[in-house]
Amino acid sequence: MSGAEVGQIAVNAVLLSGILALVALGFSLVWGIMNIVNLSHGAFIVVGAYATFWLHELLHIDPFVSIPVSMAVLFVAGYLLQRGLINNVIRAPLLATFLLTFGLEILIVNLLNYFFKADLRSVTTPYTGTGFNLGPVRVPYVRLAALGVALLLVVALGVFLSKTRFGRAIRATGMDIDAARLTGVGVAKIYALTFGIGAALAGAAGSLLAMIVPFDPNLGGGYTERAFVICVLGGLGNVVNVLAGAALYAVVEVVVGSRLPALSQAVTFAILVLLLVVRPQGIAGKSFYS
Amino acid sequence: VTGRLFRAVLGGAVLAGLVALPRFVSPYQLRTGTTLLCLALMAQGWNFIGGYAGYAAFGNVAFFGIGAYTTGLLMLSKWHVPFFPALFAGALLSASIAAALGVPVLRLKGHYFAIATLGVAEAFREIVDTWDSVTEGSTGIDLPVKSGGDAFFYWTALAFVALGIIVTALLARSKLGYGWIAIREDETAARMLGIPTTRFKVAAFALSAVLAALAGGITAYENIHVAPNDFFKLEYTLQMIIACIIGGSGTVWGPLLGAAVYQLLSTFVWSHFLELHPTVLGLIIILFIIFLPRGLMDMVRAVAAGAAGHPWQSLRDRLRATRVE
Repeated sequence: MSGAEVGQIAVNAVLLSGILALVALGFSLVWGIMNIVNLSHGAFIVVGAYATFWLHELLHIDPFVSIPVSMAVLFVAGYLLQRGLINNVIRAPLLATFLLTFGLEILIVNLLNYFFKADLRSVTTPYTGTGFNLGPVRVPYVRLAALGVALLLVVALGVFLSKTRFGRAIRATGMDIDAARLTGVGVAKIYALTFGIGAALAGAAGSLLAMIVPFDPNLGGGYTERAFVICVLGGLGNVVNVLAGAALYAVVEVVVGSRLPALSQAVTFAILVLLLVVRPQGIAGKSFYS
Repeated sequence: VTGRLFRAVLGGAVLAGLVALPRFVSPYQLRTGTTLLCLALMAQGWNFIGGYAGYAAFGNVAFFGIGAYTTGLLMLSKWHVPFFPALFAGALLSASIAAALGVPVLRLKGHYFAIATLGVAEAFREIVDTWDSVTEGSTGIDLPVKSGGDAFFYWTALAFVALGIIVTALLARSKLGYGWIAIREDETAARMLGIPTTRFKVAAFALSAVLAALAGGITAYENIHVAPNDFFKLEYTLQMIIACIIGGSGTVWGPLLGAAVYQLLSTFVWSHFLELHPTVLGLIIILFIIFLPRGLMDMVRAVAAGAAGHPWQSLRDRLRATRVE
């Protein structure tokens, strides 16, 4: 491996880790606060990607401008799903929420397939493919901007959770649901708000991914798995854990992807299982957003 | 005593009817029956680890695939192993792999265990897909054709399902079965009582692998063609879990009942709304989880005990028990 190649791998890993942090951010919030492993997270991401795609295709809205739109759409959808469905089984054994979100994932993906077909889509703008050279290393503008947006949202969530009333209520509910209730927190609404935020962040990730990778309705499952691995690597706890997990995972994915592409899943999961067996709480994990 | 006699007669009549079924139905219906029984077999297997021991295994399709490939490759090998020895070899290999994997993986709990097994299954698919020299990669392998085999596959699957029922019923009342339930309810307490939890969990995992491998071997011989993407697909794992949940996990008859309901519904939807098949599948899962999370056996038992009360009452109570206000 030449120096330039190492440099390119490093830059790719950095650029990838920002997006991956955003992919995992909402997933980690929902898991940490409500102990729901949301298997429909990837499907939400794909919905966000389609929102951006259609807004660009039909109304010629710039993909970066459509990010708030797809976030709003998914926030409402997520809020209603939690209020109407998931809140009903949240105290049942974990298999219930696990299967429920799996059912949702199948439903959403199949409906997307039905209406939009399984064609590969991508959002192409005048600035797609442009970039600058950093010595021998290529840095595409879109990926750099996506990294910026992702980091902005990570920081925004961190500030929201620690500084605002709603954010504190969310964290309190995650720490001790009964104590939160005693202080007057409406738990059902806070859960719905949490799930809505998780879905909105998935939507933002989808909008960014639509500019970077070609997608179809079946893309989501892989991102749910990535989000999970990132949460396990970084541990649940706060937004910094997500960043650490995403950075670590990006290195694994970029290195394994460039050496052993056919076995990337097998290698990634072998590492994951090994890590889980040695440190079941992740590398720096706690159970909640505290 | 009359109750037991009645049940024995009823059971015998149902079994006789099932054995004689191939005489009365079309080949398509018979194949649906075989598929149903193979699903029941997988669900019975999942029931040991997921239903009794309470570990949400999401990778059992790996054992289905390993069973299919072992059976197929042994039959195609230069020794031309006959079907049944090849099938049993597949089951044995699956059990060994499950035991070897189980020791590290069963240390994980909850979501972590679920996703680790999901990953293991995915890893097996990739390995089979890339190991060209043995498995012919993504092209897959072609098994010899069994002429007039439809009834043969049906009876084989039926025999194993019946065996599965007997084994489940016996184990449910054995030290092992009670140990699994203790682990499911409170693993720490179970260990304190002196239950060798690791060994019991590995036993449940290996048993679930045996039944999945048997279903895989039968399906492979019936389908003739075995390819990684058809035999290592997540959908099978989901189906066995759903069948188990619909019927009632941790019960003797639940997996068979659930498999029957699921397969018949699925076949109906498939033939009427082909394109929306997965949508309906997703809806079925959601509705069952919300309204009948303990499965049909639970309802059957409540009705049999005459404790149904107002039909909506129990539903309302149940929703209240798991809802957050």
